[in-house]
Amino acid sequence: MLNNYRRYALGKLSRIGPKYLPFADVATTDVPLSRLLRLSLFQVTVGMALVLLVGTLNRVMIVELSVPATLVGVMLALPIIFAPFRVLIGFRSDTHVSALGWRRVPFIWKGTMLQFGGFAIMPFALLVLSGYGEAVDAPRWLGLSSAALAFLLVGAGLHTVQTTGLALATDLVDTEDQPKVVGLMYVALLLGMIASALIFGALLENYTPGRLIQVIQGSAVVTVALNLTAIWKQEARDRQRAQSKAPKANFDESWRAFARNAGALRLLVIIGLGTAGFGMADVLIEPYGGQALGMSVAGTTKLTAVMAFGGLIGFGLASKILSQKDGCPSSVANMGAIIGIPAFLAIIATLSFPRVELFVLATLFLGLGAGLFGHGTLTATMRAAPKEQVGLALGTWGAVQATAAGLAIAIGGIMRDLITGWSAAGQVNPASAYLPVFVFEIILLALACFVLVPMMRQRGQARKSSAPAYVQTEASFETR
Amino acid sequence: MSDTADDPDKVWPTGLTLSEAEEVHSYLIDGTRVFGGIALLAHILVAATTPWLG
Repeated sequence: MLNNYRRYALGKLSRIGPKYLPFADVATTDVPLSRLLRLSLFQVTVGMALVLLVGTLNRVMIVELSVPATLVGVMLALPIIFAPFRVLIGFRSDTHVSALGWRRVPFIWKGTMLQFGGFAIMPFALLVLSGYGEAVDAPRWLGLSSAALAFLLVGAGLHTVQTTGLALATDLVDTEDQPKVVGLMYVALLLGMIASALIFGALLENYTPGRLIQVIQGSAVVTVALNLTAIWKQEARDRQRAQSKAPKANFDESWRAFARNAGALRLLVIIGLGTAGFGMADVLIEPYGGQALGMSVAGTTKLTAVMAFGGLIGFGLASKILSQKDGCPSSVANMGAIIGIPAFLAIIATLSFPRVELFVLATLFLGLGAGLFGHGTLTATMRAAPKEQVGLALGTWGAVQATAAGLAIAIGGIMRDLITGWSAAGQVNPASAYLPVFVFEIILLALACFVLVPMMRQRGQARKSSAPAYVQTEASFETR
Repeated sequence: MSDTADDPDKVWPTGLTLSEAEEVHSYLIDGTRVFGGIALLAHILVAATTPWLG
């Protein structure tokens, strides 16, 4: 009886076969665009989580839940704590031991679970934190610790998914296609952020606690659904890798090997400087437009759209330039930083010539510069990464980028609140208070350019003669 | 019979070896555990906000 059943089940199973299992059949060299588009869905969920944290919940917690602003700031900063661990996550995924020979998918899956779990408990944690209903009597630590846990889980999940997802994308395509993939990933992130900002805004227009629960838990479900779709049949099984008894590399050695690449650390400095320079503008453009140029709320909201549009143009342009044979990612990044400087100068100029058109144009170019810079630096990271250290390289990129962006947003936010407070007290002219901030951003971008120039010169020499290690790897990838 | 079950390289009708199948299964188990833990915590938090047992 039992035997019959067993034979029947096995017979059925053998007919189903691996068709319904989440592996790619073979590691193909030619990955169709539809598959890459599907993979880019993980960036949509990352964008969604970022918008929910930085935009939506920031407002909801302060306005609707009346949680003290300082506490909100601390809670929302928690995910940044995880950013440096991206290096470790990337390294672990490079050396992951799996019977299936998988390296990236297990991490994307676990990251998705963490993100899902964070979103699942977040609305209740926030309601307890704000003392809604009977939670007034709940002990204080319960709300604090559960909200902190929710934000930490989302942060950890987000960083894991993005690091290993980008590494998987790098694994899948050839070097000459990498610029297109980078562009695609950035566009997916941006579109995910725009779409979810609009959707969250519409859904939470009439706020009720029930609606908050629906929205956050809904995004948890969407996260799992999109990420599963993204990773399905993307990474091939690799029995050779699974059975190889190669000694496991340790982190210190791998890191030292990575840092020995000439230009690797220099690139990280550039990413940090440039990201911080552009990132601070993200939070300051809107209040500046309102306070210095007297734009309406609807008008300043459109500024964000203008900036995003500039970013899209930048990604497209960078993809186009870098797909050409002699496209050099560091000069594209340099172009981005150089475009950013006059854009900031134009914004400063609106202090004396308060023209809205000039300001909008400057915002567009700011977005364009940020797009070029982001694309150029990520492509440079991908190209410079040795094949066995893709995860480590992209983890380091993510760690620096996310930390710099997080710090920039935090500093920008503090500056904005200080300036708004001062101008409300009538102590200072609100518009001119922004001047030192914009000057500081120009200095950051100029420093980024300054550090970039030797890298481009190195490359130029590499064309003519033999070159240092970093450039050689880059050149050898190109000829492949 | 026992030989084939112990052979790590034998490919079963699903197209997976035993250790591969076990790994796929482990993702399911881990996922269920995380689900369970999260659900428990969520219930405690909901109970703190709107108690349903008296």
